[in-house]
Amino acid sequence: MRVLVIDPDPARAALVAEGLQGIDPLEVRQASLFDEREVAGFAPDVVVIAADSPDRDTLESLRESGHNNPRPVVMFVDRSEPGLAEQAVRAGVAAYIVDGLAPARVRPILDVAMSRFALTQQLRGDLAKAKADLESRKTVERAKGLLMKERGLDEDGAYRLLRKLAMDKGRPIGTVAADLIAFAGILKGDAW
Amino acid sequence: MSGLADLRLGFIPLTDCAPLVVARALGFFAEEGLEVSLNREASWATLRDKVTVGALDGAHMLAPMALASTVGAAGDAVSMIAPISLNLNGSAITVSTGLAEALRQIDPEGMQQRPTMARSLAQLIEQRRARGEPPLTFAVVFTYSMHAYELRYWMAQAGIDPDRDVRLVVTPPPRMVEQLRSGLIDGFCVGAPWNAVAVQEGLGEVLIKASEFWPGSPDKVFGLTAHWAETYPDELRAALRALIRASVWADDRANRGDLVELLALPQHIGAPAASIAWALENEVVFHASGAGLPRREHALWFLSQMARWGQVAPDGDFGGIADRVYRPDLYRAAVASLGPSLDPAVAFADSVSAPPLVLFDGKAFTPESASAYAASFPIRRLQP
Repeated sequence: MRVLVIDPDPARAALVAEGLQGIDPLEVRQASLFDEREVAGFAPDVVVIAADSPDRDTLESLRESGHNNPRPVVMFVDRSEPGLAEQAVRAGVAAYIVDGLAPARVRPILDVAMSRFALTQQLRGDLAKAKADLESRKTVERAKGLLMKERGLDEDGAYRLLRKLAMDKGRPIGTVAADLIAFAGILKGDAW
Repeated sequence: MSGLADLRLGFIPLTDCAPLVVARALGFFAEEGLEVSLNREASWATLRDKVTVGALDGAHMLAPMALASTVGAAGDAVSMIAPISLNLNGSAITVSTGLAEALRQIDPEGMQQRPTMARSLAQLIEQRRARGEPPLTFAVVFTYSMHAYELRYWMAQAGIDPDRDVRLVVTPPPRMVEQLRSGLIDGFCVGAPWNAVAVQEGLGEVLIKASEFWPGSPDKVFGLTAHWAETYPDELRAALRALIRASVWADDRANRGDLVELLALPQHIGAPAASIAWALENEVVFHASGAGLPRREHALWFLSQMARWGQVAPDGDFGGIADRVYRPDLYRAAVASLGPSLDPAVAFADSVSAPPLVLFDGKAFTPESASAYAASFPIRRLQP
């Protein structure tokens, strides 16, 4: 079976392709854009496409215009498994199968794609959080430096003051630190 | 309504998403007690699927998409409704400057006429065929769209068979201009602002605008599933009120600068402000003259073209389908609940006896005989 993975996000596509290697027999190709000639050359049995790819509409149109495409594709809607299409949409995956291929054979492919999409999303979330944490730590360091300079506090005293401000206002310490830096800038005449 | 309801609405980067963007940015949704998140979608198919499965509560939608989903023209039938039309006009047919030049050499006078007919294009296609050259490629945004029917109608009027004489492809709106530049396509029919972007970048020429093709032609609606509308009637009414107020605001010339700026933001359309301003000038209408009213004859015209091109059976109950999908009653109720701040006549603009609906070619459309109209065109692809 030949599977084409179209995803503007190459890292995610690679993850899906790698996951599909475990299914046999399989030839997997990935592309960031839909290219009709390339698709005709590869003649995939299944096209897995990221729902956030703008090429979905192009792929969708091919099933209505069979005459100018040698490999018409139809959307994978397995009526025997209610909820599967919903699950795929929510996961951000759409799959098209070439007419004639049994939907049951596509199920494991879709499962892999959905789980890898979920994994990517989680990794992205973790990365964004790590970045935000790092950013917040940098901000806190700068705010501490500011307090040490302006109020003559030592490092520990500056941190305790920040923490108290955060607790009094019921806001994260990174936010309080950012506000402090912004206001200090205004007082110095950085803005306005 | 007590408390805030959360609504997730989808849109595609096009000028006619304005009512949704304005209703959120200016707080019209919030004033109706709705907490709305707007999701910019990359494709119409994904937007439709999300509305279908409930990942979105409603969306900026191609009017024929709501009809196609309801009759199951493209897969499973899911009943959708269109309780408000988001705009009239806005699309246009644009060809590359190279193609425009070739057409001008064939018929310099014809190219100066407004609207430009496809006659010279028909001649060029003949010449290219005789020389053994490949067919020209034209792009539309989606199979079930005003744009697809507009381009097909315009070509067929001049004797061009859109399924045989040219290559018709589907390309998402924001990609049109880049594909015209790279020569992948020779022309397209797309909504604002992308025609203006092509013109202002010196890549294309507009041959016919929607307002020339069919004065006051329908385009986008606010679409949602019939099931959602039945489950949340109060939220729907509130959303319609906010969208109507946003449409009134968007029509007001005094707000034009703010509207253009808001739409140009990268999270909305992300196109140059000058291109967005172009179609707002004397072209796109959001509310005035009953533009928001989802009109039965619009649905029937779309169904006639779906039948003409073999997308639905030609003998279907078009009136029944139109009445299920197009819901002027919901629009009227929302207008009435807004009270005297609005001219109530806008909600009844479809009840005055309208002049016959005539397109650019002078051919009249009688809504009651949509099937016969579909069969009356020499170039057609009726289902047997």
